[in-house]
Parts: sequence; structure tokens; C-alpha cells
Amino acid sequence: MAPSVGKSVPRVDGPAKAAGSARYVDDLVLPGMLHGATVRSDVARGRLLGIDLDPAFDWSGITVVTADDVPVNSVPIIETDQPVLAKDEIRHAYEPVALLACEDRLRLEKALRHVTLRVEPLPPVLTIDEALAAREVIRPPDNVFKRYLITKGKGGAAGPGVVDGCEVVVRGVYESGAQEHVYIEPNGMIAFWDGEGAHVEGSLQCPFYVQKGIKGVFGLPDDGVDVTQAVTGGGFGGKEEYPTILALHALLLARKSGRPVKLVYGRQEDIEASTKRHPSRVEIATGCDRDGTMRAVAIRILFDGGAYVTLTPVVLSRGALHSCGAYRWEDVHVEALAVATNTPPNGAFRGFGAPQTIWAIERHLDRVARTLGVDPMELRRRNLLGLGDTTATGQTLKESVGVQECVEKAMAASGFAQKRARGPVVTGRLARGIGAAVFLHGAGFTGSGEKYLKGKIAVDLLPGGRARVRTASTEMGQGTETVFRQLAADALDISVDAVDFAVPSTRNVPDSGPTVASRTVMIVGSIAVQAATELRERVDEEAKANGLSPAEAWDRLAADPERATALVQYEPPPGVVWDDATYSGDAYPAYGWACDVAEVEVDLDTFETKVTGFWAAVDVGRVVNPILCAGQVEGGTLQAIGWALTEKLVTRDGKILNPRMTNYIVPTSLDAPPFTTILVEAPYSRGPGGAKGVGELPMDGGAPAVAAAIEHATGLVLDRVPLLPEDLFEASLKGDAR
Amino acid sequence: MSIAGLALHSFTAPRDLPEALGLLAERAARNEKTVLLAGGTDWFVERHVAPPETAGTLPLVVDVSRLDGLRGISVAGDAFGGQKLRVGGAVTYLELRKDARVAARCPLLAAMARDVGALQIQARGTLAGNLASGSPAADGVAALAALDATLLLRSIRGARRVPLSGFYTGYRKSVLAPDELIEAVEIVLPPAGASFVWRKVGTRQAQAISKVALAGVAVVENGRAKRLGLAMASVAPTVAFLPATRALGLSRPLAEIMDTEVREAVLGDVAPIDDIRSTAAYRRHVAVALVTRFFEALRGA
Amino acid sequence: MSVTLTVNGSLLTLEAPPAARLLDVLRERLGLTGTKEGCGEGECGACTILLDGVPVNSCLVALGQCAGREVTTVEGLGDARHLTPLQEAMVTEGGAQCGICTPGMLLSAEALLREKPAPTDGEIREAIAGNVCRCTGYQRIVNAVVEAGKRREVRP
Repeated sequence: MAPSVGKSVPRVDGPAKAAGSARYVDDLVLPGMLHGATVRSDVARGRLLGIDLDPAFDWSGITVVTADDVPVNSVPIIETDQPVLAKDEIRHAYEPVALLACEDRLRLEKALRHVTLRVEPLPPVLTIDEALAAREVIRPPDNVFKRYLITKGKGGAAGPGVVDGCEVVVRGVYESGAQEHVYIEPNGMIAFWDGEGAHVEGSLQCPFYVQKGIKGVFGLPDDGVDVTQAVTGGGFGGKEEYPTILALHALLLARKSGRPVKLVYGRQEDIEASTKRHPSRVEIATGCDRDGTMRAVAIRILFDGGAYVTLTPVVLSRGALHSCGAYRWEDVHVEALAVATNTPPNGAFRGFGAPQTIWAIERHLDRVARTLGVDPMELRRRNLLGLGDTTATGQTLKESVGVQECVEKAMAASGFAQKRARGPVVTGRLARGIGAAVFLHGAGFTGSGEKYLKGKIAVDLLPGGRARVRTASTEMGQGTETVFRQLAADALDISVDAVDFAVPSTRNVPDSGPTVASRTVMIVGSIAVQAATELRERVDEEAKANGLSPAEAWDRLAADPERATALVQYEPPPGVVWDDATYSGDAYPAYGWACDVAEVEVDLDTFETKVTGFWAAVDVGRVVNPILCAGQVEGGTLQAIGWALTEKLVTRDGKILNPRMTNYIVPTSLDAPPFTTILVEAPYSRGPGGAKGVGELPMDGGAPAVAAAIEHATGLVLDRVPLLPEDLFEASLKGDAR
Repeated sequence: MSIAGLALHSFTAPRDLPEALGLLAERAARNEKTVLLAGGTDWFVERHVAPPETAGTLPLVVDVSRLDGLRGISVAGDAFGGQKLRVGGAVTYLELRKDARVAARCPLLAAMARDVGALQIQARGTLAGNLASGSPAADGVAALAALDATLLLRSIRGARRVPLSGFYTGYRKSVLAPDELIEAVEIVLPPAGASFVWRKVGTRQAQAISKVALAGVAVVENGRAKRLGLAMASVAPTVAFLPATRALGLSRPLAEIMDTEVREAVLGDVAPIDDIRSTAAYRRHVAVALVTRFFEALRGA
Repeated sequence: MSVTLTVNGSLLTLEAPPAARLLDVLRERLGLTGTKEGCGEGECGACTILLDGVPVNSCLVALGQCAGREVTTVEGLGDARHLTPLQEAMVTEGGAQCGICTPGMLLSAEALLREKPAPTDGEIREAIAGNVCRCTGYQRIVNAVVEAGKRREVRP
């Protein structure tokens, strides 16, 4: 059987999606179903004194749920600080306080307007600086959720002053705003109870995260909670931890009403209430030689976590671990803090902290290049990590570092050197420029994370020479269903068409760990290959031992429940040494690497930026499916371009002023550049076929590449995303040209 | 997520304009609200964000999208030897784009129509609908204002012609009476060879509400503007007609008009604000820049 | 009130509120859930259908306005076992990832290809500018439409 890995096998879920027959949660209907809705706070902080139901309203047929109905009122994520429904206090605008359900949507809409929350407002903490000043303490003792310290060389002893002795010291401050996922399918869940327990189906990335949440709140055992992923219309991290809240809400309503409940958010509610990318401020000081050899770096990272912890410690961790970029440093001092504010909790979003810190380090390298009067790519080349080098956490890169090839190919394909050297090209009122970024992204969970996850996968032999993959790794457009079939098919030496992919339901599939962290192919894919290989060997042995044809042996094994399945648990490679206490060692098993080049045209009258060309050269270790892989690169890059140029979340008093697609601006086809995607392979020995992760990497480089191009075109130096025309205009007034 | 209350609205599709006008008049006399529904690109969005109405106050939805009396594009001679373009109120932006006469004789309208939302919106949105909604950001209204359009308002009491410059009385307020609808718009077509500008600066390249949009039409002879129509969206509570800038442009040979004068005139003609989409300072800057470029182009013409 | 219209080639008379959104009638009354709601305000295009062959946002159309007209939804293009060349190309060229924008995208592309069988990159991007995709970056959607144009020449 010709191998399928490396081929653009058409996505197997494609036909149903193209035919419109794929069923997303809002397409599902259960008999007797009620519609659910959420009553939310409209102030950012206060004491919740009471919930008033207007006695003049007819409440018959309307189920009402409040905190008193919640058995264990905390959402189990990392900590348990976030209530399922607010009880005595409000900590952010849009915090859920009560739930309503009704069969009749009109009555439900009206009922929402007949609930009044009695809130005594308290002064909210709304910015990173207000949190640090701690005049109001909302997270004792000092409004800080989490701190990390990463040091290397003299950084430990010298602290942030580690740069002081260097020949050239450069300082800068870089900021980024929140970003909303805008998956085109909003969040939704459908829930019901029966003799077996709790059932939910919905738009989600991690069925076992949702199961864990339900178990914790309702005190149920594993087999009393069934979570199934419906076809999911985009996630990008926004459906990593957040769907647990919808599942809990829907189940509470279902339990109280005795009916199935569908809870689907409208777009405005989704933008208001769901998690966002953490806003950030990153202060960098670097010390280098006059010739551009970087020596020392001191970084202070500040992330705004919002009102509750959710996943903030992990986001901050990844941000900190990527903050030194793709470069060599002798001495490192990185201090990272995440603070609490009275804003909706921030959470997972593709890149998970790295886009923010890579934005900063890339902009900073450009600043250093300007200061030294050297070409920014030359500066990068001089300091780029390579095989044998050690990272900021002291990890020696032993294999799979394709960054040089990425740089060379991106430079060549884009004509960067020549375009850069000639300076901005001004035609009429349009100025064209080019810029680049070089970056990395760790694949898999940090450090010993994969060891604790103990991700598992099962592959079953089915009659007729078929097989089935059972995993909690979900398809949300990135290609899981197709790629896993390819990996299993090749290991089993059968055609991709002969492999099924089970719907991820906690009843049927083992816990492979969450579909996050760019781990799906590299980690879970590798055990898919192992499990399939085991089965192939079993079939061949069975055939040999019993004088059967392989087909006969296959069917015999498939009919035997004891032997039809291979269940494999991920074992991290030996020699991965990570110290949580000192935050040092092998942070990730492997890194994806990339070089992005953006070409822009800036209108010197209106300061509108058009990205006219984009080249991404990406080292993914091994390309399993070229078209799906390139799709990840291009889609992630366009999200990064949106973050860079148009996606601004406007807030006042902790509320969002633009919670609609008409005024939260994501790119249309006319805003997107033509993409040239170059896939590079520097194989990782422990990845299936050498594959590493790719899902998040593209999010990290688009913004700094675009900013560098704008700088080249106009001379305007901007260190905060998004780079709106209004911001370029203001910068032009201040003469923020070099 | 469906808009549950919509189902409660009564709906009617009158067969012709007199029927529609009769209905409008009856209801106006009884103080009952009527929604004239054409493309729905404003009304359905309003319904989506508004709270559900109380049963007693639901308006009657009157579908005028296919009323013959509100459709059609025609060109006819006028009393002064010129030509008038008449566009029915329920003509869509897509129809405007596709009309060969509009493309040939009034490219400003075609260019503007191309920038409205995206194709799906162009296929439904109408000039009358946007005129009646009264948003100062409406692209179509800016183009009509630059063309000094006349609105044909009709009720059972008769018809009246109101210049667009006299139509709005304030933010989203107009002289349209409760029993009236916008039957058509009329434009005196610029002569062949006229210059025009349509420049929309929005939040992105499609599906954007303008931060500033400039519409302009000019007839230049021997370096002097003989006709100059200008209008701007999103810089005032209603569409801005830029009167001082027009007057400046018509006052002397274009080569003698300095950029500084243009700047001063434009700044006096606009009153932008900070809002969710942009800032007053940016809008002022862009307003000046766009008009300056247009004057430059006219000097070259 | 009853409204008679043609949906995917079938003449239907529906007893349904005429002021209801066409989107809701399609999804809930007719069970045609291929048309999606992404925003409810005509911004995302996930609800795109063809009304007399022209792409419109069905979240902005009243059922009553469709009397005597033809509505085409994604279900009217082809089913999962018999995809049209455009649907196939959307899959093979990588134009569909999570799939939620795909039905609307297909209808906008279908309308374009009927008018311009060999559209340029710019024409395609303009035709789909009202269909927001958050997954693909649009490049492969454009590639798919170009490919579909070629395949339709051979097999319409």
C-alpha cells in the first residue's frame, strides 16, 4: 500500500461539510428541548445583593437556576476560584448570575428582561497598572495570579541589571491588546440527564476537560458523565476551557427542568462573555556587543488575566518560555507576572502567550538593529539558535532545528534582501515596504506536562480489513480526523479509506489529553502510529502462527474483543529533564521554527495598511498532509495579521463597546494577502514520521513581520498592536520616525 | 438565536404603490407604526440588537421591495437640455452597479455601490432604505449628496420634490412624513467627461462602515470648476455637503487655490467625533487629505 | 399566512409567519440546517443563500419577501455522495477547514462561476468578501474556485 503521509489526502470530513450535512450543535434538536439563556452582570465589580424576578411577569414554564442550585459552585480548571454562577459578588462584567430556560424563545427573551440584579458597585480594577498599584485588592494579597522567574548565566545573581555591563544596551516596551477568536460558529451546548447520568454534546475542543468540570460540580463518577463533541466550527483555543461553563449551565437547567436544554450563544454574548487573548506589556532590555552579538537580556512580562485564574498560569508560562525568541543568550533574567483585573477572564487562544512575547522580542531586535545601524535580518542571523545551542532555560537543541533553512527560503522566495536594501518604494501616495520575523514555538505541553497528562489512544481492528481510531483529539478544522487516519493507515499498511475515526465521546474514546498546545500530531499522532503498528504486528503474527492469509487473520482478531484493540499511553522520551521549581531544562520536546516575510503598502494619506504579499517558511518536522498543513499556516497567519492591523477590543469601565462582527474587525478575503507557504522538514525523531506541531506557530510571526514592513515603508516605529491607521497617524504627528 | 419576536409582526406585500400609500396613510392617521421593508439591511440588524417589543406596539411590516412603482432606472431629458437619471427607491446597489447607463454617465454611483458592504448586502440594500434610516455613514447618501440629488417623496396627498440638502433635519431625523415614502431619487447627470471621486476609508476593505467617505463630481473647463459637488459621510450628524469647500472650489481657477485654503475649508465643513470606529483627529486629517487629492486631480484634469 | 416559494427546486407552500427570517424558516421549519447563523446581522455571510440566483444574507430577508421566488441553499447544490465540482474542489484544495463558513462560501462562489466561469483572483475575492472565514486565510478558497472553474469546463 502506497503511504499516504506526505500526500494531500482530501479531508475526510470535507464532503459532509461541503454538502451542508455536517451537524453542528445548533443543528441538533432533541424532543422536548428547552432553550437556555444567561443572566449576566452589567457592572464590572460589586456585591451581589439579590436577584429579583419581576412578580408581574408570568414565570410559568420558565426554569430559573441560581448559585443555590449548583452543588459545588466552582468551575474546576486550575484553581477553583471561578464560580459556576456568581453568588455574593460580581468580579467582571457579563459574569453569569442566573440561568433561564423555556420552550418558547420569545418568552425566554422577555423573561431575560424581567430579571434584575441588585448589585452594590465597587471600584473595579481595570488595567495592569491598577492591579499592580493594588489600591483595590481583588486577588489577595497583591492582585498577582502567578509569577515566574527564568534565569540563565549571570541573570540569576545580577537580576535585571544583567545587561548593564554590555557594550550596547537597548531598552523598549511592547504592548498588545486582547484578541477575540471569532470562530464563525459561536459557543453552544445541548444537555440532558437520564438514568445513566449527565449527557452533553457541543462545540468543544476537549471532551475530557468538560467531563472533569461536570464531575467536579455534580459529584459524578466517570461513567456518569458523557461528553460528545459535535462538529465544531472553529476553536482556536476559545473552546478549550470555556465550553465547560456552557456545559455546566445547560446541565443545571436540564436538571432543574427535567428537560433537555440547548444553550447557544449569540455572537454579541459570545464576544462579551467568552475568553480572550491576554493583553500584555513586555519590557525588554538587551545588552550586546557593538558588532551585534547578543549577550544578555532582561525581560519583564505583564499579562492581564481578567477576573479569574482559568488557564492564566499556563499562558504566562508559555509566554515567558518564548520571550527570548529564536536567539542565543548567555545571560537571561525573565520575570513574568499575571495580574487580576475586573474584566472577563482571559484564556486560551492559539499561541497561548507566545504571540505576545514574540511580538516583543522581534520588535526589540528591530530596535537593536536600528540602534546599531545593522540590517535586522543580519542581526538575527548572527544570533540565531542552531543545533547544539542552549536556550534561555538551558535546553540544548539536539535535533530538529530547521530555522536556517526557513530563513533562507523565505528570504529567497520574497526577494527580501533586494527589496529591503532599496528602501521604501513610494508611488503616488502609496509607500511599499518589507519586513521579516523569525520565531519558534514549542510543541507539546511544557516540561513534564505530557508525563502528567498520560495521553492515550486506542486503535481497533474492524472486520473486512478496516480499522478505527479512537481518540479525544478533536477535529475543529485543523485536520485531525484526516491526519490520524493517514498515520494509522500507513502503519497498518491499508488505505486511508479503510480507517474510521470515532466521534470523540468520553464514552468511547480514551483521554488523549486536550486538543491544544500543538501536540495533536506530534504527541497523540505518535501513539496512534504505535497502536496501529502494534496491531499490524499482531495481524502478521496471527497469520504466520495459524497459516492464515492476512485478511483472515485480521478478521479473526477483529472478532476477538481481547485482541482487537491496541491501547497505547504516551511515554515521554527519556532524557527530557525539566525542573518546575527553577523553571529550567528541556521546556519542550521539540520546537517548530519559522521565518515570515510581509510586504505592505501604506497609504500615506489615510495610513491604511494593505498586506500585499506574505511568505511563510515553516519547519514542521515532517509534512503529513501538505494542503492541510499549509492551511494551518495561512489561517493562523491571517489571524496574526488581523491582530496586528484591525482587531481591537474597545472597552470602557470593564465592558466591551464593540462586541459585534460589525465593529470587531476581522479580515475579509479582500484584506488577506496572497500567501506563499513553504514547508520545511527538519525531522523530530520522536514525532510520527518526524512531524512536530504546527497549529500555533503561525500565530507568532505575522504581527512583527507586518510592523517591520510598516516601519520600512514609512519610518514609523510602533510597538503596540493593533496598528490601526489612527495609531500610525498619531505616530506620524509625534515624528516617531527614526 | 432566532429573533423570536419577528414571528409576531403582521406582514403585508401591497400589490402596487397606491395600495402601499393608502396603507401608510391609514396607519399614520391612527398613529400606528409601519415599517417599509425593502432590503432589510438596516431593519433586521436593529431587530437583532433591540429588545423584544411589547405586543401592543408591533409595527406592520410592509414589503415594498418589489413594488413596480419604486423600481427602475431611467434617463430622460430635462427642461434645460441636460439629462436626469431617475433611480427608483427600491433599486438595489447591485442593480446600480450593473446598469450600463449608470456606469457610463454616473460612475460615482457605480463606484460607491461597489463599496457598500459586500455582494450580499449590495444585492438587497436600497437607496431609499438607507436614505430613510438616516445614518450619516451611509455610502449611498454621500454619493447622492455630491450629485445634489432630489428626492421624490410621495403620499396619498401627492408628490413633492425635496432636495437632499433639505431632507435631513438632524441625526437620523428627516422631513419625511409618517405617511410618505421615498419613491425615487433624481440626479442631473454630469456631462460626459466630468471628473468624479469616490473614496471610502473604512475599517477594512469590505463589510465596512466608513470612517470617512468622500464623494465628489466636478466639471472643469480651462482650469476652473464649473460644477462641483462634494459630500462626505461619517463626519457630522448628517451627511456633510461641504459648502465652504464647494464654494472655494468654484471661486477661482483651481491652480490658484492653495492646499492650505482647502484644508481650512474642509475643517470648517466637518464636525467629526471620536467613536467606536475612529477618532475625530484622524477623521479630520483624512477628510482634508481626500479632498486635497481630489483638488489635485482636478488641477491635472 | 401562507407563502409559496421554491426551495432547491421544490415548490412549497408554507404556513409560517411572513415576517420571520428566511434563515429561521429554512433551518427550523424545513430542517435545512446547512445554512448557518454566525452573527445574525449580515456581517459574516454564513447564512448566505441564493435568492433568484443572487447571493443574499438570509438573516436579513423576511419569508414573505420570498413569495414566488427561488431559494437555493447548499443542500440544493449536491449531497455528500454527489458533490458538484465546486464542492469537490473546495474539499480537495483545502478551502474547507471547520466547515461552518463553507455552505455560504459555496453559494457565493457558485453565483460567481455561473456569471464568470474563469474568474480572476480579484474577482473571486470580491465575490466572497461577504463570507468571513476564520480558518483558512482565504488562499485555498480562492484556489478552490479557480480549480472549480476549470473542472466545470470539462464537467459542468
